Amino acid sequence: MTLRDIAIAGVGCSEIVRASDRSVTALTLDACRAALADAGLGPAHVDGMATYPGAPDSIACFAVVEGLGIPGLRWFEDIAGWAPAAVAPVIAAADAVARGSCETALVFRSTKRNRDRPPGFASAARIGGDNQFRAPFGDTMTSQWLAMWARRHMYEHGTTEEHLGHIAVTFRRHAILNQRAPLRDPITLEDYFASRMVTTPFRLLDCDFPVDGAGAVVITTLARARDLPHPPVQVLGGAMTTGTRPDWDQWPDLTTMASKRCADELWARTGLQPHDVNVAEIYDGFSWLALCWLEDLGFCAKGEGGPFIAEGNIALGSRLPTNTHGGSLSAGRLHAITHVIECVEQLRGAAAERQVPGAEVGVVSAGGGTMAGAALLARAR
Amino acid sequence: MRPLPLPDQDTAFFWEGTAQRKLLILRCEACGSYVHYPKPACPLCGAASLTPTEVSGRGHVHTFTVTHRAVPGFEQPFVVAMIELDEQPGLRLISNVIGVEPDAVSIGMRVEVTFQPAADDVWLPVFRPEAGR
Repeated sequence: MTLRDIAIAGVGCSEIVRASDRSVTALTLDACRAALADAGLGPAHVDGMATYPGAPDSIACFAVVEGLGIPGLRWFEDIAGWAPAAVAPVIAAADAVARGSCETALVFRSTKRNRDRPPGFASAARIGGDNQFRAPFGDTMTSQWLAMWARRHMYEHGTTEEHLGHIAVTFRRHAILNQRAPLRDPITLEDYFASRMVTTPFRLLDCDFPVDGAGAVVITTLARARDLPHPPVQVLGGAMTTGTRPDWDQWPDLTTMASKRCADELWARTGLQPHDVNVAEIYDGFSWLALCWLEDLGFCAKGEGGPFIAEGNIALGSRLPTNTHGGSLSAGRLHAITHVIECVEQLRGAAAERQVPGAEVGVVSAGGGTMAGAALLARAR
Repeated sequence: MRPLPLPDQDTAFFWEGTAQRKLLILRCEACGSYVHYPKPACPLCGAASLTPTEVSGRGHVHTFTVTHRAVPGFEQPFVVAMIELDEQPGLRLISNVIGVEPDAVSIGMRVEVTFQPAADDVWLPVFRPEAGR
């Protein structure tokens, strides 16, 4: 089988809130049960599993096997380390089903913030690895890396803070229509400019925010998915890419991320082109990431992302509705699993007030800087 | 107090160099490329013979951010920058730009290294506007 013979048959979420009183394991199991119920399947049908545990704020596959009472797995993968977040286990699971390693895989991403351990480094901590060349200079946050890429993009292409503001405002407008999004108060460009500066050019409203919650999807063969309750969402193709250097500051051209290579792979492998895509759910851990993904995916020319956004091309009702659930910026930092779930709901025609009319093909992506992952999904014919 | 480096087998030369107020960058004996961060092999040609080599410490601001959020050991706001060294296009260090108001830092600004004591045995290479400019 190839990826085109694979489908997403179920999706589900736990509560997604700023601070949950439930454990990360309980949240994860909620999402996995919801996704299985959505697919019309039970724990005994699951024979594969993958997750992106990311930082130690989540759990591994084994905890879900035990928690759901799954008899056993034929394939599983905890995708630790530097990877395009929740898109990585989706692609891995689709590949695993396609090659016959398993028939039905559960994919999840869950997070719960450790409130006893503040982010960043302790005073006078001794820092090893590559961070020894960053942390002593106060470069301790991902926001700073991306801010420097965004600044370079502004310098080379004339992108403005107002362009970034339009991203935050547009995604918030979408979040208002999404009951699952924790941030649903309307914001204006004035609110954007009034939000406090974190690290130039990023204000608070350029940054996603931590949430406690989980999302899960069920991946199986398209043939099997056709017998399940919802219209199957076919996986047309997926790609994960890097450049040579892992270090974000050694990347040759800071205005074009690994997402360019990822997009080139995706279009080449599927034979599709940007104009075939009706809805985009792309990674926006920081506003500028979405702008760069739009350019790298070819929805507009390099450097034209700012004007493309400011002209209204990513809002619901426009040419390319983007992050129709509110994105990470308004729906919370779940590292793109909710982007995948939203894309599936759009392609099923089940996105309620957020529905993009006639959506047939969607793109999901995660990652930024030196690594990227993306997949093209479609309503199965 | 700010975080401090924890050197390992690959990186000790760098911090031993800064402790003597020298900026040392690995240079590949096979292809001549400078390599940062320190690695056991050249990412450009794969050769495993890299030699710590003193560089001029002069370069320019490739890009930067002015950080307003609290970071231990820093007064806000402070400048984190990618400094591109004159020795090789794309050879960049993360560092601070000091001796100038954060608002006055710009892409392309010429800078030179200076060494700042951070602990008894640790000197950090930071950058200030190039003298005579």
